[in-house]
Amino acid sequence: MKYVTISRFGSAAALALFSAAADADESLFGYLKGAETLPKGAIEVVQSVTRRWDKGAGDYTAYDSKTELEYGVTDRFTSAVYLLGQSVKTQDILIDGYIPKDADTGLKLSGFEVSAKYNFLSPAKDDFGLAGYVSGAYTTLDPHSGQKKDKYTVEGWLLGQKNFLDDQLVWVGNVGLESTYAVRLPIDGMVLTQDQWPTTPEMEIALLAGTGVSYRIAPNWFIGVEALYDTEFETEVGQERWSVQAGPNVHYGAKDWWFTATWLPQLVGGGFETYPGQIDTNLHLIEKTKQEFRLKIGFNF
Amino acid sequence: MNDLNRWLLIPAIILPAAASAPAFAVQYLTVEQAQKVLFPAADQFESRPVTLSAEQRKAIETAAGVRVRSPEVNAWRARQGGKASGWFVLDEVYGKHEFITYAVAIGLDGAVKGVEILDYRETHGGEVQNPKWRAQFTGKKAGDTLKLDEDIKNISGATLSCKHITDGVKRILATYEAALK
Repeated sequence: MKYVTISRFGSAAALALFSAAADADESLFGYLKGAETLPKGAIEVVQSVTRRWDKGAGDYTAYDSKTELEYGVTDRFTSAVYLLGQSVKTQDILIDGYIPKDADTGLKLSGFEVSAKYNFLSPAKDDFGLAGYVSGAYTTLDPHSGQKKDKYTVEGWLLGQKNFLDDQLVWVGNVGLESTYAVRLPIDGMVLTQDQWPTTPEMEIALLAGTGVSYRIAPNWFIGVEALYDTEFETEVGQERWSVQAGPNVHYGAKDWWFTATWLPQLVGGGFETYPGQIDTNLHLIEKTKQEFRLKIGFNF
Repeated sequence: MNDLNRWLLIPAIILPAAASAPAFAVQYLTVEQAQKVLFPAADQFESRPVTLSAEQRKAIETAAGVRVRSPEVNAWRARQGGKASGWFVLDEVYGKHEFITYAVAIGLDGAVKGVEILDYRETHGGEVQNPKWRAQFTGKKAGDTLKLDEDIKNISGATLSCKHITDGVKRILATYEAALK
């Protein structure tokens, strides 16, 4: 078996690959969020599946599942709870601090999340739509390796939205701040150094910004593009990583259900270091992958 | 069952459920029924479709401040005993996903006699069917403000539908001035 030899990534550790961004209303976008909230008393159930694959070496594929129940507390305030799951299949790629061993975890429950979204300005009525969004999550599995890791995440977002052409064209802009506290658990049957699998607590802060447009091409159908900038900071190394992902999306909305699909490949990225032997040095492939695809299906009640 | 198969169970369960979901359109009124509601005394509705010229479209957009998506105007002349009693205009505006079909009745004085919703296909916002909300348009004429939270009250939770219908009525009144009067 040929492994890629990986050096340690400082004392920094892998934190959320995803921002765990969740949508509090029917979403035209797979990753970004609009400023609208559910009407009072409305309920929405959303199932999201994200596939992450290709680290440029070995064989890596992961899936993230998010099952969401949203409720319109008032016309301006929407709350939601989420059940999180994941599966990680990784082979022939070891990254110190991130992927200590091959794994094929299968689907496992990984944690839960809660969120709240408040609409300050309506994009349909006001010149500019604006909402605030906060969420908190607790997870027990590392999204990179599939190994055990306790992590607490808090996010805050400002969500801007501007509609054009009688709401036929929708622009959104998101900025967010994510803070995490995480502890990796020892791996049964393995003796690993702190470089290979650090088990000391870690804290990191991520800045996220995204923008996208969506255009109604026919009744029920929207197509668009979205882009997400994601960077993470850690005390020891400063800016640990950054990446820009962008790609197309399609949204279909009927009276009682909708779906959104987004392909979001990484276009450019970098950070404190690459893994030894990494060929695509213009990408960040330690915590991120080259490719991501997300499918969300929602039901309205 | 391998990992991929297990994950494919999710759409396999969800998609049939979605396909069988009652994605119905609520048709409140047919065109004929709406005509009778808005002009109960009329005994004839003469179809008078209009194709707007570029100049007319521009004039309407300038007057109403609302985009004219289509140059076709579906209009009927309502008559009672051979005498004109007003215009019945059938129109569509965007809902969140699909079009909302509605009709505006305009009297001989150029004022709105009534607004009826014919089809509503959206998940939320069906409150625009509320007669009290629609009654706000009665008496409005071209040049009136017709703006949410000003002379037209918004229905919280149905903002998009309220806005588009309000804009639509404003556009229809401008169309009356430019092409039907």
